[in-house]
Amino acid sequence: MESQIREIHQQLVEKKITCTDLIQAKLDLLKPNAYNTVNSLLENLALEKAKKVDEKIKNKQEIGLLEGIPFGIKDVYMLQGTFTTASSKFLKNYKAPYTASAIQKLIDAGAIPIVKENCDSFGHGSSSENTIFGAVKNALNKDLVAGGSSGGSAVNVAKNYTTFSIGGDTGGSVRQPSGYNKVYGLKPTYGRVSRFGLLAYASSTDCVGPIATTIEDVRIVLNVISGVDAKDQTTYLSNEISEKEISRYDDIKTIGYFKNFIENEAIDATIKSDFLASIEKIKSKGINVKMLDFFDSETLVSTYYTLAMAETASNLSRLDGTNYGNRMEGKNLKESYSSTRSENFSEETKRRIVGGNQVLSQGFSDEIYTKALSIRDQISENFEKDFQEVDIILSPVTPNPQPKIGESLKNPLAMYLSDSYTVGFSLGQLPTFTIPQGTATGIQLTAAKNNDELLLKFANFLKEVL
Amino acid sequence: MNKTMTVDILSSIKGAKPSDTVSKLFEIIKNANTSSTNFYSKNHQNAVSLDELREDIVIESSDLEKKIIIENFPKEKKGYLVVSKVIEE
Repeated sequence: MESQIREIHQQLVEKKITCTDLIQAKLDLLKPNAYNTVNSLLENLALEKAKKVDEKIKNKQEIGLLEGIPFGIKDVYMLQGTFTTASSKFLKNYKAPYTASAIQKLIDAGAIPIVKENCDSFGHGSSSENTIFGAVKNALNKDLVAGGSSGGSAVNVAKNYTTFSIGGDTGGSVRQPSGYNKVYGLKPTYGRVSRFGLLAYASSTDCVGPIATTIEDVRIVLNVISGVDAKDQTTYLSNEISEKEISRYDDIKTIGYFKNFIENEAIDATIKSDFLASIEKIKSKGINVKMLDFFDSETLVSTYYTLAMAETASNLSRLDGTNYGNRMEGKNLKESYSSTRSENFSEETKRRIVGGNQVLSQGFSDEIYTKALSIRDQISENFEKDFQEVDIILSPVTPNPQPKIGESLKNPLAMYLSDSYTVGFSLGQLPTFTIPQGTATGIQLTAAKNNDELLLKFANFLKEVL
Repeated sequence: MNKTMTVDILSSIKGAKPSDTVSKLFEIIKNANTSSTNFYSKNHQNAVSLDELREDIVIESSDLEKKIIIENFPKEKKGYLVVSKVIEE
């Protein structure tokens, strides 16, 4: 099966390249920062680790599959001793005191972190423009946005600056930029991968997700980062996904798609026709296709943002400049809090914090917040029913193609609505996988909870079919 | 005492006002039809059950971790970490 990780591993073992040269070459590609993907380069750390891998090879010691493989980290993950800014003014000079569990597992397996990657500040955005490091540019066309919030990660993978990157997905932040830059991006089932050390946005949907150029690389990374972690009590025990198992797909009999996602006026005509053409190709291979009913886009987006804003208002209340971050002194503690938060949060982040505090306040909470929770329950029930009828749900990743840089910031409502195809699956805590095929911004595959394996399997099938 | 707090106070953000865009999203929720009348019917399923909670344990931070935490502190004076003046109301 096609895999960049295996290819590099083989070259290292056969001494066709040294790890130091490999890492240096990637650092050299990242240094000009031509796509604004770089928040900080981990040059010394990476080269030191590369040297150790080279010594092992020289001493004829066996190396693991991920040893020496360069990877990128969205700048919302803690990596001890490195700047972890969340692309925000607030944490511009903040250094991570410890390392996130998922990142530590990759480092323990020998993978080498080379870059902290640009993203929307605190994950608040769908275009990677809400950042102090400059708007990330799309890998295919620099005039277009990279998508977000894990835009820097998707672009680095698409440009082959990193072999894989670790993004974070709360409402589509791995899947949408992966679609925008034509790479694979997985949001695993909620709880499959530990969130410990990920700066929290909306804790009930935050997921750690790999982005790569091949399905096999996604599988390899997912297996390493999955598992129970005492530091994140929502994690659960999952089985390893084998290469052999995802190579055969004869157990996928029926797929479905949401009729109302396709039959509406908001979807771009080409994305619609390309998606329907993909469905026809799948049908021609003998797979049954069912049209399913689902919630309308406005309800999905409003439910998601109501809950995400409430959670982020709560999560970001700790950022007050007392213990860390860019403190602005005031005449007393309260004044310091408000000066610090007013000066350091971006407009988009402020909008979400204020919205969150609104819905959590007396008078609003029953009418809006609790009702949104109830709609979320109904969405989950809907999914449970759907997955009794179909194995996989297919959908476009976005209703429209990538916007130009600058357009999204002008119209926040349009930006929120652009997430309408991704947020429902987040609310359902389901595994969802973007593949770079089918439409201009890819296709999303979704399975029932803890059925991540089925997605990789079906993606392999679609690689042949589409 | 019935004290109404405005969103700028609640959020500790000067001059913060409710956003029209966000208000539109809230209106959609207000007007949405929900089949369930029991708002708390299933949400507890997302929580960790009491039986599954791990024991509280104290983990000593490494020296490096402690050093970085101190390094991150915004203000230091004569070897002390300085916080803003606390007021009581």
